[in-house]
Amino acid sequence: MKSVVTTVIAAADAAGRFPSTSDLESVQGSIQRAAARLEAAEKLGANLDRVAGEAYDACIKKYPYLNNPGEANSTDTFKAKCARDIKHYMRLIQYSLIVGGTGPLDEWGIAGQREVYRALSLPTAPYVEALSFARNRGCTPRDMSAQALTEYNALLDYAINSLS
Amino acid sequence: MDKRFFNLFNLTEDQAIALLDTPQDQISEDDSRYIAASHLVNFPTEQAIAALIRAIQQTDPAMENRIVRRKSVETLGRLEAVQALPVIHSCLSDDDRYTVENAVWAIGEIGTHDPVILEDVAQLLHKPGQTYRVIIHTLAKLHYQPALERIRRFTDNADLPTASAAITTVCRFTRDYSQMDKVVGMLQNSNVLARRLSIQDLIDSQYYDAIPQIARCPVSLVFRLRGIRMLAESGVPVGAIPFTAIQPYLEQSLRDHPGDLDLVHTYDQPPTLPFLIQELYETDFGRCYLATKTILEHHAEAAPDALFATYAEEGKNDYGAHFHVMKLFGWLKHVPAYDLLIESLYNKQPQFQKSRAAAAIALAELGDPRAIPHLHACLDSKIWDLKYAALMALETFGDIGGYAKITHDDDWLIREKANTKLVTVH
Repeated sequence: MKSVVTTVIAAADAAGRFPSTSDLESVQGSIQRAAARLEAAEKLGANLDRVAGEAYDACIKKYPYLNNPGEANSTDTFKAKCARDIKHYMRLIQYSLIVGGTGPLDEWGIAGQREVYRALSLPTAPYVEALSFARNRGCTPRDMSAQALTEYNALLDYAINSLS
Repeated sequence: MDKRFFNLFNLTEDQAIALLDTPQDQISEDDSRYIAASHLVNFPTEQAIAALIRAIQQTDPAMENRIVRRKSVETLGRLEAVQALPVIHSCLSDDDRYTVENAVWAIGEIGTHDPVILEDVAQLLHKPGQTYRVIIHTLAKLHYQPALERIRRFTDNADLPTASAAITTVCRFTRDYSQMDKVVGMLQNSNVLARRLSIQDLIDSQYYDAIPQIARCPVSLVFRLRGIRMLAESGVPVGAIPFTAIQPYLEQSLRDHPGDLDLVHTYDQPPTLPFLIQELYETDFGRCYLATKTILEHHAEAAPDALFATYAEEGKNDYGAHFHVMKLFGWLKHVPAYDLLIESLYNKQPQFQKSRAAAAIALAELGDPRAIPHLHACLDSKIWDLKYAALMALETFGDIGGYAKITHDDDWLIREKANTKLVTVH
């Protein structure tokens, strides 16, 4: 699992050297942000269903053209796809908060997933819109501390950017 | 191309173009240029293509705009817009790796023999941080042999799907299949994406020998059926492999019993039924099949109530769990689920499409002959896997009356199935 620590050690080992001062500084930076990340992970874990649910509900309200009845335009289509997959991405974001790196998202959510979406002509827009809503909705101190929100939003941005 | 989800947003062409042309800082909170760029895939017109090209030329690096550019590149690829090649070509030097990835992919979709464009794509193999797998796929698709030795260097890449694409392409260019066992081995990787992607490479390399292993790969049957079907489409017409050699594996995949899969996960302790039910919601179907198998082996008696409960609570809205619940009712031969299975057989919402064929197979397991006319009705569907599954289910009931109806079916696999059966009968 890729994290700041494993990346630094892997690079040092590949070159047969000790980690450099700048390597240790990046590890130190990651450790300093760990409390904020773990706070975000805890809050997200405790509210996963609500956060994911709100994200897709809000999307449906936000885009009136999603509400039209009919097979492929139905609200249910959008809801069902989003509810399931948004939860999956939120879980990977939570893992990434714990790891302190984007490894879980990269390895289980992004690498190859873009190819699968393209190959099967699956829509990425619902995920992008729902995750964007989650990013814009986060509020401090109501949901979590400012530092925790920064860490959480950075990973949401990362997921939105990588899936789109 | 599967277009089930293309009309998700129900915008008109003019509305989508107007949205896409709106400057990002003036876009209303209720609108999305990203959705507009996605939606224009439904309009293969000059004005839609021109709007998408204009969107790519908006180079504001803010993420909101960057994702619109990428999606516009992808949509132009889907529209196979030859006139967009120059602007897409220019995206190959973009700083954003995903814009580059989409540009490479779009060039593959549009197709070109222009050696300048092809060499620029090949040069990306030397650039750090790129999606090499997609670059290799496009070079293979466009038969750019001058890249062979550069691609060969990726056959030992630490990223397995990249290595798999490289091995496959070397095989396609040289007809040397000696490394293909590594690609077949990926069908058993613990990472679900690696498993899915290896099927794509086996399709690309027309490696018919792998069909039995594809049929046993623990991924959603959608990926297995796509793989087997595409290999059949390339191999049967040229006589490389007869339909009858593919048929058992095709039908094994359609039946989709967890006992016919080589599962890659194991439990470290005997799981409870509530845990197993929750596993049916996993996005990695390999885990769902393990849960299904464990439920059948250890919780068969208590499972039906738990399945009805989870279906009512959230399974009816979750296209993954919905599918597995239908399958399980069949394997459990749980007759009280008959009405639910019939409802699922007729469910036309696109995300539940695979549950329809699952319901057909499950109804055959229940063995209630009331299902026969409903299964016959499925033969009028345009969904090939539903039709095929209905034929298999009817066969279980000893009913072969449907075959005469489908000997001239639009779908060649259905015709093949009918022909083999009619030959057997006569």
